[in-house]
Amino acid sequence: MQSFKQTSKVTWWVWLAVLLVGGLLLWGTAHDAVLYHDPIMQVTAVRQHQTTKETDDFQNVDYQTQQTLTGHLLNTKNRGHQLKVTNSYSASGAMDQRYHVGSQLFVVLHHHGGQLSATVKDRKRDTPLVFMLWLVVGLLLLLMQFSGLMAFLSVAANGVLFLLAILLNGSTQGAQVLWIFGSLAVVFAAVTLWLVLGRTRQMVITLATTLGGTLCAILVALVVFHVTHEKGMFYESMQYVTQLPRPLFLAETLLGSLGAVMDESTDIISSLFALKRERPEITPRQIFKSGRQIGSTIMGPLINVLFFIFVADTFPMALLYLKNGNSWGYTFSMNMSMGVVQSLISGIGIVLAVPLASYLASRWLPKEVAA
Amino acid sequence: MSTITVLGLILLLLMVLVGGKAGAQSFLALLLNFGLLFLAIVLVAFHFSPLIVTLVVGLMVLALTIFMSSGDDLSSTVAFIASAIVLVVLVLLIVPVEQWAMVQGFGPEDSEDLEGLSVLVGINFVKVTTATAILSTLGAIAEAAMAIAAGLSEILEQHPQVGLKALFGDGISVGKQIIGTTFNTLFFGFFGGFLALFIWFTGVHYSFGEIFNDKIFVSEILMILFAMLSVLLTVPITTWVMTRAAAGQRKRAAK
Repeated sequence: MQSFKQTSKVTWWVWLAVLLVGGLLLWGTAHDAVLYHDPIMQVTAVRQHQTTKETDDFQNVDYQTQQTLTGHLLNTKNRGHQLKVTNSYSASGAMDQRYHVGSQLFVVLHHHGGQLSATVKDRKRDTPLVFMLWLVVGLLLLLMQFSGLMAFLSVAANGVLFLLAILLNGSTQGAQVLWIFGSLAVVFAAVTLWLVLGRTRQMVITLATTLGGTLCAILVALVVFHVTHEKGMFYESMQYVTQLPRPLFLAETLLGSLGAVMDESTDIISSLFALKRERPEITPRQIFKSGRQIGSTIMGPLINVLFFIFVADTFPMALLYLKNGNSWGYTFSMNMSMGVVQSLISGIGIVLAVPLASYLASRWLPKEVAA
Repeated sequence: MSTITVLGLILLLLMVLVGGKAGAQSFLALLLNFGLLFLAIVLVAFHFSPLIVTLVVGLMVLALTIFMSSGDDLSSTVAFIASAIVLVVLVLLIVPVEQWAMVQGFGPEDSEDLEGLSVLVGINFVKVTTATAILSTLGAIAEAAMAIAAGLSEILEQHPQVGLKALFGDGISVGKQIIGTTFNTLFFGFFGGFLALFIWFTGVHYSFGEIFNDKIFVSEILMILFAMLSVLLTVPITTWVMTRAAAGQRKRAAK
């Protein structure tokens, strides 16, 4: 009930302040072109040209349209300079896009004989990004207050650590990727749990479960990879790979499952602590049993969370494969197989964490839990 | 046997060992969810509207995930209704934001993977990317709705006479307990998947300005933010549905 009273303290002026900050952020990012080094052009007029029908080798029909955009530069030393550029876009828009009056575009300037001309590079996207960031952080703080702030801080701290690890990985040319992200996983888990639970016995047990479950899953995966000779795994289908794919894949899987295993261990162990507080006479055996019970109801939905994150992402590319006359099987192998392997490994970690959490809690729960 | 089969069998075995019948059911739900996701892609490839396919498949996924997990009737029903409402609200938000941010389809970083593929396939990729963003949040919505509904249903069981206003406060409290760990699940889930992309950015020395306006980067960050927002929305919406359900039950009991 305590928390409900706190909730009602959020008065209308807090909401107003959050809205005001949002408005300022939106206005600010719409007028921040001077902060960029790359030239940005604002479109003031659009002329549409003819649309042509295109058919590819697989009888896919699409329409391409040319447009001429007139506008002026918003930054660089040529600020205010009038420009005319052409753009071509398709109805499907997989690699291109239609621009409208008011769009802000990054352009590449060409100087020849005192004349300035330009080609469109891409659209400016910081305004929608900042808008969504504001919406999430604003709602988080308004709805969850202190807990929201802690959630935000732990995600922000992990974000910074993640960035540092990537820079470190870059400086070692990716040779140590698994070690870097493996040791980082330990730091990640420790920092997050410390922020959520504080320095308590509960935190130590949760940390041990999280690391144990994730490590076991990776070991199981390595054994299976060895036994099956990685049949049906297509490392070449991984996207954006700039270094040795196998350790990178394992590092991705390790990080991906870490959060879910941590989530689950926190849930199970905090419920078991609460149980012990309510019924101090409970035996370790009963604690183990309840832990398994709680764990088995939450493991399914958690595996699902990761499955959708890992596999839904492949939708556009898989669609393109199908439309280019590839079979369902080939489309699956080339787009979704690695995501499915990742989901399965994470799933194994999530399931293994259930008995691990229950066992550790039943052994290490203090005899007397402070109420 | 292929790696996927062996890993799948190990997962099934472990789920049955740990969770018994409920574990087997969860595994089946996972398989069916994969089938539904693949079906969605195939249907869109046959030129069904991506948004309608996503809504229908999304509702089926939510129903499968929620009703095939163990849980009492009240909390499952409440979780399903609440997650369906969240799905609709999320669609209403994702559609305009994706139009605005223009992050559809593929970026220059994809050109190597796109070699030899025709991209002019006559399907609106703004809608496809919107569908992708919605689908990737489904698991998170279902999980959060079930956690809140289960927590509230337990409170209702222990204190059957709790006031509706107090129940709403309890819902927010349950939400506060799960929000930190759930956000981290989403953060690690997504960032694990984007590791290669981020390494790419640092390797090719993109400037901050380039990264924050990059099509793929913005698209991925928007996906995380949508997922986090969906979890946030799930908390008050599930609580509200639960108070309606409790009020309805009391009215019937009073008659």
